Amino acid sequence: MEFKLEAHRIVSISLGKIYNSRVQRGGIKLHKNLLVSLVLRSARQVYLSDPCPGLYLAGPAGSPAAPPQQPGEPAAGPPAGWGEPPPPAACAAWPETEPQPERPADPAPPRVGAAEPAAPVTGAGDALRAGEVEEAEAAWRRVEGPREAAEGGAGVFAGAEGPRGARRHCGCPPGGEDRPGALGACPRVDCRCAPRPAEDEPPAPPAVGPRKRGAAGVGGGPAGGPAPGSSPLKKPRRNSEEQPGGAEEEEEMETGNVANLISIFGSSFSGLLRKSPGGGREEAEGEESGPEAAEPGQICCDKPVLRDINPWSTAIVAF
Amino acid sequence: MAISRGLARRTVPEAADIISTVEFNHTGELLATGDKGGRVVIFQREPESKNAPHSQGEYDVYSTFQSHEPEFDYLKSLEIEEKINKIKWLPQQNAAHSLLSTNDKTIKLWKITERDKRPEGYNLKDEEGKLKDLSTVTSLQVPVLKPMDLMVEVSPRRVFANGHTYHINSISVNSDCETYMSADDLRINLWHLAITDRSFNIVDIKPANMEDLTEVITASEFHPHHCNLFVYSSSKGSLRLCDMRAAALCDKHSKLFEEPEDPSNRSFFSEIISSVSDVKFSHSGRYMLTRDYLTVKVWDLNMEARPIETYQVHDYLRSKLCSLYENDCIFDKFECAWNGSDSVIMTGAYNNFFRMFDRNTKRDVTLEASRESSKPRAVLKPRRVCVGGKRRRDDISVDSLDFTKKILHTAWHPAENIIAIAATNNLYIFQDKVNSEMH
Repeated sequence: MEFKLEAHRIVSISLGKIYNSRVQRGGIKLHKNLLVSLVLRSARQVYLSDPCPGLYLAGPAGSPAAPPQQPGEPAAGPPAGWGEPPPPAACAAWPETEPQPERPADPAPPRVGAAEPAAPVTGAGDALRAGEVEEAEAAWRRVEGPREAAEGGAGVFAGAEGPRGARRHCGCPPGGEDRPGALGACPRVDCRCAPRPAEDEPPAPPAVGPRKRGAAGVGGGPAGGPAPGSSPLKKPRRNSEEQPGGAEEEEEMETGNVANLISIFGSSFSGLLRKSPGGGREEAEGEESGPEAAEPGQICCDKPVLRDINPWSTAIVAF
Repeated sequence: MAISRGLARRTVPEAADIISTVEFNHTGELLATGDKGGRVVIFQREPESKNAPHSQGEYDVYSTFQSHEPEFDYLKSLEIEEKINKIKWLPQQNAAHSLLSTNDKTIKLWKITERDKRPEGYNLKDEEGKLKDLSTVTSLQVPVLKPMDLMVEVSPRRVFANGHTYHINSISVNSDCETYMSADDLRINLWHLAITDRSFNIVDIKPANMEDLTEVITASEFHPHHCNLFVYSSSKGSLRLCDMRAAALCDKHSKLFEEPEDPSNRSFFSEIISSVSDVKFSHSGRYMLTRDYLTVKVWDLNMEARPIETYQVHDYLRSKLCSLYENDCIFDKFECAWNGSDSVIMTGAYNNFFRMFDRNTKRDVTLEASRESSKPRAVLKPRRVCVGGKRRRDDISVDSLDFTKKILHTAWHPAENIIAIAATNNLYIFQDKVNSEMH
């Protein structure tokens, strides 16, 4: 658990550095930012691989980082706020990262705090809630990366729930994935899955959209509902709160100059991301933007707006 | 070091006064420093005189000039800092001295000349330079050169601009005295000293897709004797020796010097601390000295697999890397230096400490550059950092080190045991008089 905490802290610090580097005199320093991105990657890998229960993360600790997309992995399920242990197969598929103290589960990214009471959703089978879920998801996804099945890790409530536990019906858990549903701690107030934690249901047909989620993905109330399984990827216009304005500005700075940190980190240096075969650039970007929140070219939104969100997500969005 | 003398540049620390580079010229007679405000100050060693035996070759200010000014790149909306990143002296070829100074983007060649005579006795002008009334001119007189107070004039002879997209981190003059190279994060350019409108790109490690970027160039230097060889270090801790005769673009190294990482030391920050911050050829040309965050290493050009010597500079920081990452200290770029005979290496550390390692005796010493401990003629006392356990009286504990006082830039006189230490905005010059032969 300490590793995870430390990793989390390091990721936050790194994001802060990257953010600050954009305003420092003399332009963005490529060397320093490259090093910071390497640390960010290492910390994220550890964070994602550290199997300790994510319970403690539910509160102030912050949301989970997005697990990198694994090539070939099924689309990541929606943020399993509750952290469900991925199916064993997925675990194995997890690419080798830093050695972790425990291996079994991946800490589930805690739900983003007060921001959304609703379950992150994935509407897997829950078309009804799609709309409402969208909103929540939009904000949620912004800070959380795609929860991948590959993510090893026990969820907070991992225990009782089998790998295939499903909360599908309430749209809570990761739809498309074989993700175990949370044990009852479904954030959705009206979630029906609460009573069924112990059940081991087969995963509902994932409304899983394609892994690659288009720009229209989450964010502004996409009609199609977020592909649950798809990684948060690009969260273009997440919330109205965010200012997309910075994108252009960043682009210009990039000219011949690595100054466009956002886009670089949005898509990340190789290694920072594991690009899924089908995802390509977008995936990469989205992926990276998972934990880092920032989408390439997008400027952080007002911090104050997100004050109610835990520090983790605040740091992420800041980027 | 037996005797010390400190020279303070400023009493009130200002950001612009922070010294950013220190370099002796080839004879050691001149010492140039650059600062964050874009200024260059040159010190000259006073000749030892029998009349004043105590002023044994001390350094006094010789000239000060503004080398670079802050600029703004309107196209990219970026400010270009005026901070002098590096100064390199050209070998002296006539009465004038020349040096190259560079900031992040532009390199300039400065010529430093002395004027100590002036013509007096003009036929048509009076002493103030006004034309005389011709009717008063009755005889012909020819001007005669008379001595005057020494005036040092500095003029920019060349400006090598627009050669770099990324930030320049090093320059190095070739032994052929005609060319020099400049390196930024991703590219190295070769210039001719007389030609400013073009340069040759000799190394380019920019990937086609910037997202695939994994390493950058951190330092580079020409071989002291072989004009076709140069080395560049990377953020991954490797050194590449390149031969310009092999190809026009030296992307392919002739030799790659890399030490495999010790897996037991792996941490989040392994990559950062393995980044090489400085590389220097030995005077002999046989060895290279590299500095990374925690160590200095000596490499033999004939052995690529690993360094022949590794010295721990401040290994007690290894457990504090996370805090050092938070306060950005882990990104500090320390330089390193050889002494004239390549037997001792020196590098800076925190708390205004600097370290020297004797390659022959394997002894090392930690010294401090501070006003309190550096009264003129005082002998520097070796310092010790204790890491828990027994603590001696004058030891400093790791936790009380001042990380804002860092010695990043040091220089060693090419022949004698004189060192220049830049401690933030102060310059210290220490001379070893009693023990002129250190080893």
